[in-house]
Amino acid sequence: MTLSFSVASSSRFGPRTGNLTLRRTGTTVSINTPGLIVATSRGVVSHLGPEQYKRTPALRVVQLPFESFLENSPPTPTLQPGPNPLHTFLGFNPNQHLLSLTLRDPADHRETPANGHDYISASTGRGIKRITPDQWRAHVHACAPDLVVALPDIPWTLPPFSQKRTTKSIERTAAWLAHMLAPAPQPLNILVHMAGGITEPARRAFTDSLTETLHGKEADSVRPHKCLDDGASGYVFDLVPLRRALDASPDASRDDQQETVALLKASLTSASSAKLRVVNSARSPHEILRLVRDVGVDIFDSKWAQDAAHLGVALDFTFPVSSVTGKQRDLGHNLFRTQYAHDFSLFADSAPACPCGACAPLAPPTVIAHSAHDVRDTPVAPTPYTRGYVHHLLHTHEMSAHALLIMHNLGVLDTFFAGVRNVIDGGGNFGDEVDRFIAEYSEAQAVIDEARTMWQDVNIARGKGRMARERADVADD
Amino acid sequence: MAHFELLARCPTTRARVSRLTLAHGATMLPTFMPVATQAAIKGLTPQQVESLGVTLILNNTYHLNLRPGIKVLSEAGGAHKFQGWNKNLLTDSGGFQLVSLSKFTTITEEGALFESPFTGEPTMLTPEESISIQHAIGADIIMQLDDVVPSLTQDRARVEEAMERSVRWLDRCITHHNLSGKRATQNLFAIVQGGLDLELRDRCVTQMVQRKNDVAGFAIGGLSGGEEKDVFWRIVKQCIDKLPEDRPRYCMGIGFAEGSYIIQSNLLVCVALGVDMADCVFPTRTARFGVALTHNGPINLRLAKYARDFEPIDSSCPCPTCVEGSSRAMLHHIIGRETAAAQGRSLLVSVTIHNIVFQARIMGGARDAIMGGTFPTYLRQFFSNYFGDVGYPEWCVNALRSVNVDLLEGSDIKVVSGKGAKWEYSTAA
Repeated sequence: MTLSFSVASSSRFGPRTGNLTLRRTGTTVSINTPGLIVATSRGVVSHLGPEQYKRTPALRVVQLPFESFLENSPPTPTLQPGPNPLHTFLGFNPNQHLLSLTLRDPADHRETPANGHDYISASTGRGIKRITPDQWRAHVHACAPDLVVALPDIPWTLPPFSQKRTTKSIERTAAWLAHMLAPAPQPLNILVHMAGGITEPARRAFTDSLTETLHGKEADSVRPHKCLDDGASGYVFDLVPLRRALDASPDASRDDQQETVALLKASLTSASSAKLRVVNSARSPHEILRLVRDVGVDIFDSKWAQDAAHLGVALDFTFPVSSVTGKQRDLGHNLFRTQYAHDFSLFADSAPACPCGACAPLAPPTVIAHSAHDVRDTPVAPTPYTRGYVHHLLHTHEMSAHALLIMHNLGVLDTFFAGVRNVIDGGGNFGDEVDRFIAEYSEAQAVIDEARTMWQDVNIARGKGRMARERADVADD
Repeated sequence: MAHFELLARCPTTRARVSRLTLAHGATMLPTFMPVATQAAIKGLTPQQVESLGVTLILNNTYHLNLRPGIKVLSEAGGAHKFQGWNKNLLTDSGGFQLVSLSKFTTITEEGALFESPFTGEPTMLTPEESISIQHAIGADIIMQLDDVVPSLTQDRARVEEAMERSVRWLDRCITHHNLSGKRATQNLFAIVQGGLDLELRDRCVTQMVQRKNDVAGFAIGGLSGGEEKDVFWRIVKQCIDKLPEDRPRYCMGIGFAEGSYIIQSNLLVCVALGVDMADCVFPTRTARFGVALTHNGPINLRLAKYARDFEPIDSSCPCPTCVEGSSRAMLHHIIGRETAAAQGRSLLVSVTIHNIVFQARIMGGARDAIMGGTFPTYLRQFFSNYFGDVGYPEWCVNALRSVNVDLLEGSDIKVVSGKGAKWEYSTAA
């Protein structure tokens, strides 16, 4: 199994396209960047069963937080027999899916007990568990993921953090990367989380510790690499802890978006420019576009788009902007809204050719025959799902709504990234297109906030006698 | 009108294989119908349901009438188009849920008077109105409005009145349906009532069969209220023995409530008695609790003993969950602690898929066995696999004896009284 990454641009910062290729026995998985990595929970893409994965073409790179598996000791996936144990266990296809393993869920913002000198506190369904670099390395080798994030020491206690704590974080993250790099029978493709918190000098110092040439015993332990950076396949930036720390140190004169860009750049100034850059927990396409434009990030997780689907929002935007309306449009449709009850149009206006399983459903290629006399009728071409149908499913609390919306939102985001790559490769002015996008679409995400409220209402109200309770509520008003 | 072809009869039992061709294709009988109450089967897309070999599903009229409502369904061009389902669809009359879910319902000769869930106003559901609603929904099979009384009702006069009224309402449904011009695409089924009284059932069947030319099939209703299983099968057999050969027979609601855990035996006993169709919420309802069906009984994936079990639910199962290799250990893991959580729904999808296919396989296997003349052997095999460890429910033994199959012949499996619920409990404290 070998992983290679190539970028088209030689400049350190700025928009760039690239290609991530994984060759394993008998197959090659190729991913164009900028692109997306799909978030999972307990090893599955929420709302989809493994059966739907193959109907979801946007699903190529998958982010797998490992911590829920710590509920059993040893963790169940580490016991899976056969080749590609992680793919096999979770129902992913080694010919299509590239799996990236992290210990913790990068979207989890909850406070967690302090990490120690040789352990991290991970959050499982059965409370907090400590995990050491040795354990992590053993689990990773047993699971054989395609990519793995070395244990980072990200403090999840209450910010702000002292300089001493930040220094510790840098030292531990580097030491735990070195531990991961120690020679092993099977080489790993390792990503390193860029440490240093919200202090630019600290972030630069961390990168320096990666790139400095090692000597003596330290060099022996990571041979054949000359420095830690040589052994890393790419860099990870988790935005949740950065936002958390920035929020804890309010500064009216600071623009947090610019500050985030500056922090990422500080980490990358002396790093290898040709390595993969992954950002977790971007909150909007606007944020994604800025990080592509100003930094040159290659992969973003799609958690926010999946969350929007969970709340009943069908995304509806394109890049580059196809038609300028001149007013700030929402990024999608809150299908809880009554206006959609009678709306039998496609989920998205701006992407009439959305290739997702909801907008372009296919007749099943095969149908299970249950007796020798079952004859399949000529398949009828299915029609796209409509806003009105999903509106109904949301209000009746039918979870098929979310399966359709997840497929759609991942499809919209995937098409968005294809547009980003086209604009960059087309040699047009990427910055101008970003400005047009930001002018056209509202970043406030009021539509998602509104959906959240309505989702909660239906969630509370579901079940028997709901209509009567709704009536009582109206009467109370 | 529906095209109903009888393909084979079991020489021993009353079971038969037939093909029912409706406006949305052919459905092989006997079959079970998954229930899509709100126009969706838990977490699945209609394409997925179709890929599982399902050709007939059920929507509930009462629920669809509330949401999305007839106006929306009409605008969408009917329930098929609304939910993207291109195969056959059956709707009930809405009467049963009216009685079971509404705060008050008074039955008068005109119809069922109930409190509107929308406005709280007294509202009348007449036989004509029920048929009109079902016309707007557009299902391939529609059911008459009947006067349902709980099966354990002691008041024979009330049961008799309900039975006679159901016959009169059938006439009104027939008249309304025949005048509507929908007969070419939608098929009306009559519902035999009469409670647990064999004489009343007889009278009902006789009167309804006289109307055979105006109905496409017959259902046996009023049997989901917790009656003794030994009474249940006798009623079913009694009705079927008098129903015409050339119409499909639908046993209503047998997968409901307490009967759910014995649905497999229920289904096969019904097939042996001559039932062609049965609705069944069981595969979808139990999946939510992590219960997967196998030939050796249900397994509860929440139990710790599956945490390290890397086998699929059933390695011989053709369903996507088993074929794609989702192991019991993986399914056990995604249940986690909160089934309500989003990832819990992924489990639900996987297990629902398996359970639907399991039910369809049992019925498909029955069709093959009936066609091949080996249905009694198929029954013995199924019951011995499923109940070998706990014993045969006595009512199943009695019911199958009535159609010339003796489960006990050459078997040392014991007989147990009661319903025959088989359940895998946690042994943990």
